Amino acid sequence: MGDQARTYLEPVLEGRNVGRVYGEGDLAVRVLHPASFAVGAGEVIVISGPSGSGKTTLLSILGLVLSPTEGEVWVGGRRATGLPRDELSKIRLSALGFVFQQFNLLSGLSALENVALPLSLAGATAVSARERAQSALERLGLAAHAHKKPRQLSGGQQQRIAIARAIVGDPLVVLCDEPTASLDAASGDQVLDLLRESVSGEQRGAVIVTHDERVLRIADRVVRVSDGRFDS
Amino acid sequence: MLRIALRLLLDQPSKSLGTLLGVVVSAFLMAQQLSTFLGILGRVAAFVDTAGADVWIASPTTVDTDITESVPLRYQAVAMSTDGVAWASPLVQGMSRATRPDGVGELVKVVGVEGPRYLGLPASVVGNLSRPGSVLISAADRPLYGDPVPGERLEVGDRTMIVSGFFSEVDPHGNYSYVFANVDDVRGVLALAEDRATFIVVRVRTGVDAEEVAEALRVRLPDAKVFTRPELRTAVIGHFMARTPVGVVFGMGALVAALVGSLVVGVTMFSSVVDSTRDFATLIAVGATQRQLIGLLFSQALLFFAVGSSLGLSIFVLVKLHATSAPMLAPWWLFVGVAASSLVSCLLASVVAVRRVLAIDPAIVFKG
Repeated sequence: MGDQARTYLEPVLEGRNVGRVYGEGDLAVRVLHPASFAVGAGEVIVISGPSGSGKTTLLSILGLVLSPTEGEVWVGGRRATGLPRDELSKIRLSALGFVFQQFNLLSGLSALENVALPLSLAGATAVSARERAQSALERLGLAAHAHKKPRQLSGGQQQRIAIARAIVGDPLVVLCDEPTASLDAASGDQVLDLLRESVSGEQRGAVIVTHDERVLRIADRVVRVSDGRFDS
Repeated sequence: MLRIALRLLLDQPSKSLGTLLGVVVSAFLMAQQLSTFLGILGRVAAFVDTAGADVWIASPTTVDTDITESVPLRYQAVAMSTDGVAWASPLVQGMSRATRPDGVGELVKVVGVEGPRYLGLPASVVGNLSRPGSVLISAADRPLYGDPVPGERLEVGDRTMIVSGFFSEVDPHGNYSYVFANVDDVRGVLALAEDRATFIVVRVRTGVDAEEVAEALRVRLPDAKVFTRPELRTAVIGHFMARTPVGVVFGMGALVAALVGSLVVGVTMFSSVVDSTRDFATLIAVGATQRQLIGLLFSQALLFFAVGSSLGLSIFVLVKLHATSAPMLAPWWLFVGVAASSLVSCLLASVVAVRRVLAIDPAIVFKG
């Protein structure tokens, strides 16, 4: 567990009474009870719970890829809920970074191109995007793998590339979905250290959804979720 | 975005190759079908195009150069005395048979032209009709008649004529070929009266509008049908199109080629998107806008178009260069037309893929 006494700046990501119901009428299923939730700059929050508890739904809502049926999500002090699709894309691009359980690197692109992807989407020139991506890879000790395709890399290396992609655009928050689930213990530890470092060093927030108890060691705060209810 | 589009395509080489092949075959077939169609139309109109006549005086029942009756020879004098006319000559034509060395009678259209100007004769003649009884045959038909050299005999109808040269540019488009001879000889072959001709062909003076001369002749010869060269050409092609399925066959061929190309691109691009659903979901989650996703797929379609149509048209050019006897015409606008059609096909086809991508739920990226 991280330093509980640490104080954080204004929230970089907030969920205000966010909840989610799937279906309507008699078929309605509540997967997330309304709850409020805030992530401060430099803070790592771990959301832990068993499969089907609603933690991935919460992450999807916080990541602006799923709309809440109740409540609002605020990113960097700006209300995001209800914005048009392309506005949400822009917020995701500029303020959020994602790390997925299955890495989700584009297999046709090299490691360098995968890392440069958010920058290219943000309109950076090819040269600038490559330089910044190269620099990010060097910081994470992956420069030697820059021109390899994802399938040529180990799981741990792919996840570190994914972290580089998540932070290269200097987002306010990194959202991680089971980042260690597909990795062996050593690779998992390496990835967790990297995540902690990338958050503390840059004063950005992180939300990590996991059922892996090892992740708790880098958490500043742990939120337990069970049957769609928060227990922090 | 173009670079990302290209890399995603290269990541699915067999699928991309299949799509590319579809565009290549489609562009080639469109070009080949349209070119052959134009080539056949060119052959249909070649007799009129190469005759060197600006105005044609024909019988009032004339539909085209094959369906016509004779006109009085006195129309020649009327034409000669019309303002703007440089000269006028009779042209006699009709169907007959030329005997091959094996004894088989080959169907020929015998065209009689009058010296010394020989108006109606293609400019591409090697040889002449200066001696009575001489005949010019198409260079392409030489093998048909035992590859004769000038001076050899050829039976045309019931007459023995002497091969005196060869012409090109007027190639057959039907089941007959052309032979040219002196007008008097052809009258004999066809048993046409001396005071009759099939057409009176007119050359106008330099700088004179053929349309004005034709109009004057219509006034002076109310019982005749007077065509300018473009009018007769249109009539010939119009009749050919109306009476034969050539237009439908080649039009359908070109259309089917375009549709097949579009279908192949559409199906394979859609299939690629389905296979890459997770990649596209990742792009959306990371922050790609709808416009960027559409741009990416359109970029892929443009790549398929650029490479596929270039290859398809290059193969077409190679085939055309080697198939010299095939009736193919390829004006510059055919290439532009086929390229434009390929472009539209590829872009329309990519719309299916775009719709699929825009329907992807980015939340699937969180599902292991």
